[in-house]
Amino acid sequence: MSRVQVAGPLIAAAALLCAVAVPFAFPHAEYVLDVLFLIFLYGAMSAAWNIIGGFAGQISFGHAAFLGVGAYATMILWGEGWSPWATLPVAGGLAAIFSILVGVPSFRLRGPYFSIATIGIGEATRLVALNWSKLTGGASGLTMAAGPPPQIQYLSALAVCVAAFGISWWIVQSRFGFALAAIKQDTDAAQTLGVDTTLFKTLALALSAALVGIAGSIYAMHYLYVSPDSVFGFSTAIALVIMPIIGGVGTVWGPLIGAVVYTFIREQFAVKLANADLLAFGLLLVAIVLFEPKGIVGAWGSVMARRAFRKRAAGVAARG
Amino acid sequence: MAVADVSLQVFAGEIVGLIGPNGAGKSTLFKVIAGIDRPTSGAVEFNGNPIAGKRADRVCRLGVASTHQLVRPFPYMSVLENVMVGAFFGRVPRPHSPRAAREIAFEALQFCGLEGRAGDAARMLTLAGRKRLEIARALATGPVVVLLDEVLAGLNPTETDRTLELMRAIVARGVTIVIVEHNLRAVRGLCSRIAVMAQGRKIADGDPATVLADANVIAAYLGTAPQ
Repeated sequence: MSRVQVAGPLIAAAALLCAVAVPFAFPHAEYVLDVLFLIFLYGAMSAAWNIIGGFAGQISFGHAAFLGVGAYATMILWGEGWSPWATLPVAGGLAAIFSILVGVPSFRLRGPYFSIATIGIGEATRLVALNWSKLTGGASGLTMAAGPPPQIQYLSALAVCVAAFGISWWIVQSRFGFALAAIKQDTDAAQTLGVDTTLFKTLALALSAALVGIAGSIYAMHYLYVSPDSVFGFSTAIALVIMPIIGGVGTVWGPLIGAVVYTFIREQFAVKLANADLLAFGLLLVAIVLFEPKGIVGAWGSVMARRAFRKRAAGVAARG
Repeated sequence: MAVADVSLQVFAGEIVGLIGPNGAGKSTLFKVIAGIDRPTSGAVEFNGNPIAGKRADRVCRLGVASTHQLVRPFPYMSVLENVMVGAFFGRVPRPHSPRAAREIAFEALQFCGLEGRAGDAARMLTLAGRKRLEIARALATGPVVVLLDEVLAGLNPTETDRTLELMRAIVARGVTIVIVEHNLRAVRGLCSRIAVMAQGRKIADGDPATVLADANVIAAYLGTAPQ
């Protein structure tokens, strides 16, 4: 086994242990817990989007719909007296079912047309939430008085994050992952090789929606407030796309790096100058599209490859 | 209408050649069999079961594999990974474990002489290599019948001979081949039977020597005599 192969899982395990230890070691470091909470939660959402958008190559601009379904499901049931934790599987399940209902017809469309359809799905869901006031509280949304303590929230966000990245890591080496990659790279060729492309796209979407829905639940438990604009808004949908793209769309760890960058930029810029974070994201996206479509992970890979190439070239020069 | 009225039977163990001038409807016929296009009338039967109108992935899982006229490797996968897709998703039952799929894929690569390029990016292969990759990928699906669409097009004589050898080896393994081709010399040496299409209709069907001497066939090619 190469050094990297052994080091990888060890580093991941060590990082995970540190992450779990934080709330116990620093129980009153509220700001640190809050930032890490956001990184884990956004990371989970980002990884979830990456399953359908990155691995399967179906760019969805409507993922806020699934996040919102999860968030609203939790708030509604919690308001009815359920324990918020019991609502998590319901939130994930409802988001998954909803994604199948809207996904199957949408997958008849290819590429950019599919993406346009997802914009419609996101908007339509927002409008339903806005108008179905009896269920959703309409424009004012729903609130709860108090939620779980920050340490518990932190651990739940960490758990969803670990689940999302664990699933992503498994997918890339699995038969399912091969199907998604084949669909992404050449859907028609995949079809003639026996891949049921609609089935696999739908499975990927359902899995992605379930994870995002559960993340939405935890989001609701944190902010104690959901409204049509806050969870179903287009800016939320765009954020879900920006994070994986910045980090490295289609890679396993790209979404986590993207979530870190996103959280950092929001924390730093939004405080100093309103909407400066949007400017920063816009510039980053332009830079990525122009120079390194594979995002930060891709840029790192290019740097490593150039170093290896120079080393080999130097070795040849030395011998020759 | 690309294909007006064609009746074609293929028996196990044959190498059937499907020839005809451009626009005769040969590739369209392949697409209808493979499930890529739907027929407006008529039937396609495989082992006695109707398959007309079934989706392409269903047809592949039933045991009818096909290659494309324009080679289409998955661009961001290695040669081995390309073939693994076929190994994972072909004729049922298929392995679900990556290790089993890798073994099947590697065996298919060896059979096609590509095992040395297994780790290379698929898009780095030459045209001849890509054509053999298409064949390896189709073979990895474990087919009963393989439809090869102009697999000799663009190959030099040496590459052509190698591919003909490969096709004989495939049939020797028990896989039936139907091949659309323009290289009449190759087809005469390879096929046990030749069917000729022109303008969407079948105009001849029989052993190579007879068919290629048929006046109608020669006329359909507008005076191009078989080489």
